[in-house]
Amino acid sequence: MIDKVRQIISDLLDRGEADAVLALANEHGNVQPYLYKKGDSLDNLVLWPKYSMGPIVQSIQNADPALKLAVVVRGCDDRALVELAKRNQISLFNVRIIGLACTEAEAKECACAHPYPRSIDVGDKIDGIVSSDELAEVSGKDYGGRLQFWKDAFARCIKCYGCRNGCPLCICEDCVLEDDAWVKAGEIPPPFPIFHLIRAYHLSDKCVECGECQSSCPMDIPLTSLYAMIREEFSGLFDYMPGADEDRKSPLVTSLEEEPIREGTA
Amino acid sequence: MIDNGFEPKILAFCCNWCSYAGADLAGVSRLQMPPNLRVIRVMCSGRVSVEWVIKAFSSGMDGVMVLGCHIGDCHYIDGNHRTKKRFVLLGKLLGALGIEPDRLCLDWVSASEGQKFQDVVTKFTSRVKELGPNPIVAA
Repeated sequence: MIDKVRQIISDLLDRGEADAVLALANEHGNVQPYLYKKGDSLDNLVLWPKYSMGPIVQSIQNADPALKLAVVVRGCDDRALVELAKRNQISLFNVRIIGLACTEAEAKECACAHPYPRSIDVGDKIDGIVSSDELAEVSGKDYGGRLQFWKDAFARCIKCYGCRNGCPLCICEDCVLEDDAWVKAGEIPPPFPIFHLIRAYHLSDKCVECGECQSSCPMDIPLTSLYAMIREEFSGLFDYMPGADEDRKSPLVTSLEEEPIREGTA
Repeated sequence: MIDNGFEPKILAFCCNWCSYAGADLAGVSRLQMPPNLRVIRVMCSGRVSVEWVIKAFSSGMDGVMVLGCHIGDCHYIDGNHRTKKRFVLLGKLLGALGIEPDRLCLDWVSASEGQKFQDVVTKFTSRVKELGPNPIVAA
């Protein structure tokens, strides 16, 4: 698999179809994003662990908007790029996407329901994980049980903002979660549910299920289960999956004629 | 009207063009309504952001109503389309977190519907009475 990726990268660079290729490199035991240029050795290229590429593409394009960039992406990165492009944070015009389908073990580790990009260059498409145990546990509860579950989980929150900072789609320059009107500074844990519910609502039409929020969380709050429930509700209402279609706007910013609510769900 | 001794606190956002006038009409027509309501007038129900409603629940409101013009009658053409999408979604999110979605009421009341205002408020108040106090702030 990795040899095929190396082959694609060196072909793109040799033929001049890309000025640089963004992928992951293992430098002295640390995996980090690396911008490969023509003539660079590809020996240190790695594919795993996954790394959120959206914000990296954004900073590269801010520095050099004309750069012809290729980027190795997994399904979640691909969806994040689409959502960022829709919100004018990046441009996909100059970007060549090298799609990498996750293996079964990788999909299992992320409990990912869609472990493949829109177009796959390397790897085989496999079915996603439909539901994790934790998700089944909480969504099987009644309202009182769920409330207790989330109250207990969010009582651990130390308001480090890791979930927001790690999220590739949290792009607002002025975050409402830093505004005293909604979340007072210095209160730990933040009052339930205002902090997490505002974040959940803001992410409801953009969450690309990359799981960065949960992996950033030092207190092991099961955020991916919360966002899985939210994505399910959202697609139930609008039949919409964030990152699936570059040309389809979020239903929350269109009228009911453009994007109706599905019948029987409201 | 059920009477279990619990008097809920209910916040209503009413749009300037329809629901607030509808509330006025209900008032001048001397229609009897439960006194649990606090009304905030907004220029359009589309102006009501989700943060406000979440903050209302966080601050101990037992129920929140968002009332606007009927779909198609919005003074700002499609302001209430967004209201509808937003608050139908918020209802689902409340459910996912374990807060009864019935504590959030989204309805349309025009300026001539004083009677409907009374109905909506009475029904919602009695539903919230059944549900009991806000489970977020309850210890």
